Amino acid sequence: MADTCIECDVAIVGSGFAGSLIAKELSQKPIDTANGKRRLNIVILEAGPGVQPNINGYMRSFYKASAKVPESPYPPAMASAPSAVAAGRPTALMLSASSWNKPDHAYLDQEGSTLPFKSTYERLAGGTSHWMGLTPRLVPNDFRMNERYELPFPNWPISYETLMPWYEKAEAELGVSGDVAEHSYAGVTYSPGYAFPMPKIPPSLFDQHVNETLAHLTDDETKSLEFLGTAAPVTSLTARSQPAARNSQPYRNRRACAGNTSCIPICPIQAKYDPTITLNEATNNGAKLMDHTVASEILVDANNRVSGINFITYKDEAGPKTGSGCIKAKLYIIAANGIETPRLLLMSKNGGRTANGVANSSDMVGRNLMDHPQYLSWGLLPVQVFPYRGPLVTSAIGDLCDGPFRARRAAFRISLGNEAWTATVGGSGGDPHVTTLDFINGVNLSGLNKKDSTKLADNSALIGTQLRDTLGNLISRQFRIAFAVEQSPDPKNQVTLSSATDALGLPRPKIKYDLSDYTKQGIATAFRLKNVIFRKLSAEDFTTTLDDDPAAFVQEIEDSEGKKVNVRLTYGGAGHVMGTYRMGTDRKTSVVDSFQRSHDHANLYLVGSGTFPTVGTANPTITLSALALRTADNIVQNFKEM
Amino acid sequence: MGTLPTDRHNDRPGAAAPEPDGSFSRRAMLAGTMAATATAAVAPISGSAFAAGPDVNSPQDMMAFLLLSEALTGVDKQLLAPEFDPKTNDPGTDPINIKNDYFRWINAKDTTSSFAAMLTFAKKNPAPSAADIIASVNAGNDDIKFLARSIVLLWYLGSWYEPKDLKDQATAANPGRINSSEVLSPKAYTQGLVWQIAGAHPMGYSNLQFGYWSRNPRDPNDQPPLLPTPKSP
Repeated sequence: MADTCIECDVAIVGSGFAGSLIAKELSQKPIDTANGKRRLNIVILEAGPGVQPNINGYMRSFYKASAKVPESPYPPAMASAPSAVAAGRPTALMLSASSWNKPDHAYLDQEGSTLPFKSTYERLAGGTSHWMGLTPRLVPNDFRMNERYELPFPNWPISYETLMPWYEKAEAELGVSGDVAEHSYAGVTYSPGYAFPMPKIPPSLFDQHVNETLAHLTDDETKSLEFLGTAAPVTSLTARSQPAARNSQPYRNRRACAGNTSCIPICPIQAKYDPTITLNEATNNGAKLMDHTVASEILVDANNRVSGINFITYKDEAGPKTGSGCIKAKLYIIAANGIETPRLLLMSKNGGRTANGVANSSDMVGRNLMDHPQYLSWGLLPVQVFPYRGPLVTSAIGDLCDGPFRARRAAFRISLGNEAWTATVGGSGGDPHVTTLDFINGVNLSGLNKKDSTKLADNSALIGTQLRDTLGNLISRQFRIAFAVEQSPDPKNQVTLSSATDALGLPRPKIKYDLSDYTKQGIATAFRLKNVIFRKLSAEDFTTTLDDDPAAFVQEIEDSEGKKVNVRLTYGGAGHVMGTYRMGTDRKTSVVDSFQRSHDHANLYLVGSGTFPTVGTANPTITLSALALRTADNIVQNFKEM
Repeated sequence: MGTLPTDRHNDRPGAAAPEPDGSFSRRAMLAGTMAATATAAVAPISGSAFAAGPDVNSPQDMMAFLLLSEALTGVDKQLLAPEFDPKTNDPGTDPINIKNDYFRWINAKDTTSSFAAMLTFAKKNPAPSAADIIASVNAGNDDIKFLARSIVLLWYLGSWYEPKDLKDQATAANPGRINSSEVLSPKAYTQGLVWQIAGAHPMGYSNLQFGYWSRNPRDPNDQPPLLPTPKSP
């Protein structure tokens, strides 16, 4: 370590959701220290660029991108080889059949992985702002899968009830719109008199149509849903307004959602919360953000306390390294996400003293990588619901996220999309481009350009008013429904270090990933429920698994007549990177305690969704934000002793 | 690739054209008129009789482009070029003026004189109907046919697909994706017509207000729209 280290009270690595929330909390009030009451001196290391003066540059990149994938607005340049980027990231374009397992083309080294890990993230100030903005809480049984369903999964070291007040604080911080009465199911409860900070986001036309159609199931339909294994017969399905960190009225100097329909990748008016909002408050309070600064090693002293963090600096996004340095603090917080945090811990070998990585006496760092594999289905309705309008998701069917069936198969949560076929045909950012090109050039990549759907000839090449009316008619009837499936923890699903490096010479993350039979059974059940829902909607089904899809797998299911048949299914990434430094009470099987403090090093916290022991089916951001606020409070209470 | 030639006087709506540009436009216009006369009797569009090539500053050429585009896209030219004054080629108060970008782009990209030939047909006197224009394009050679498709895609998506790539895809035994398309500019993306045709708006670009997604795209009390609401099946 150099002699001239930056000194501060708290060093935070990563400025995404967890890092920014903790930075702000710690920055805003004087706390007790060994030298009396004072404000903490906080430094945040950010691997990527800092906060932009405005988002015009990101909007420009998004508009100009020919493939509008979640990463399009953000640096670094999409076409760069991952070995030539200083702070790289996985992207949707790297997941193609020809590149997902080729480290020359893909940032994550998935060579030799059984199945592709399909989620991506950003590395820049504010973290992964290309999030959907949905904030459903985990439900009480999500915290006790072992206790409740006798599964070989770890329980959480805290309960829903313990986390409940922190959910409420997180909902205030992010600015959540929602309806308590609508969102009380599967045991979710609230403090007496609690209301979300803003009223709910109204439902789209598609939500309304689904609710009207699925409100009453016939006896035969109810019977046909027995395969779900619910406690009570399913006589209706309810799409509920989803709590979301999306303003339904002006809130904390940000305006109400105007339905730009691009929550992913970017909200042009910042009506959707992103962590730069909190990060700016932290820096206004005096916290310092160091951008283009990549943490490369966590240093541990002889007393098993973290004594510093080494970092590398660069200027150009392609590198090279322009400098290096170190930071010394009393307390260290790693908030670099479910892949970059274990990567940093594993890179930190301290000259061999921590050869297995820092905070890793349990050998659990990097293990139990989880996502919510998404079973995506899409079709054409007999009526117009006018998609490509409003927030990307306004309603979801959450009631099937818990039940006795969880003893034998994964649960799921069902989101109704307002972006129709955007992410279905031709990959992310597909439609309406794919369908438009089909009908202009007389091809059929969308599947729509066939006589059954159009009453025109197959592969029609249209022009003029006939083209206009055909596209208007078809596109306004498109829809998609996605099933986010719970993934079971598996120590073999693992983040390690690759021999492939980035432009700073640091090893890139290596991924081994597979789906358990428990999770695949959840996807297969989603497939069967999809068939029932599509029939009830009188929808034409366009859901396909492409021949060259590396995520495809074959699963045996019972068809509607009870016959065993094989179906070829697939999944997408939800962008939920979880489980890789899990919390628990036993230091032999977990990495951090319920305050996300390392079992091994008393002045080290590891935060973010990497601490989830199991993942339920809810989008993880509100839970990781609640945990971050609880961690910040724990630090404020105990800083003097640390 | 991707830079547009500049066209100063059309970038300043309402500004008078400088004298040299004006006289050039006049010559081009005269040349265009003669060309139109020469090809008027030929049904399929083929070849070019343009002396100076299509001119974005010529009111006649621009009007022909709008007639052609209206026929090919099925979208009223008042929507393609709001506030446009066909006599003076003045874009009026239209701050976007995307037609000029498209005209110049197509003109620069077309290597076969097919653009000139299509404009010549659209300039016939009396003006051809949309059906006449479509029939002529359909009767034209592959250069004409696939350039016409490129033009429609440009208006619909704001993206340029090379006619050659379209031809390769359309004639392939197993048509694959075209990965070479290019968004002309951020502005062009926001002007894509397919979104409006579907009753929507480009993702990430909307002038609508909170809650509109709970209602049908066009309120029945609105003025009759230039673009019909997409029909039910």
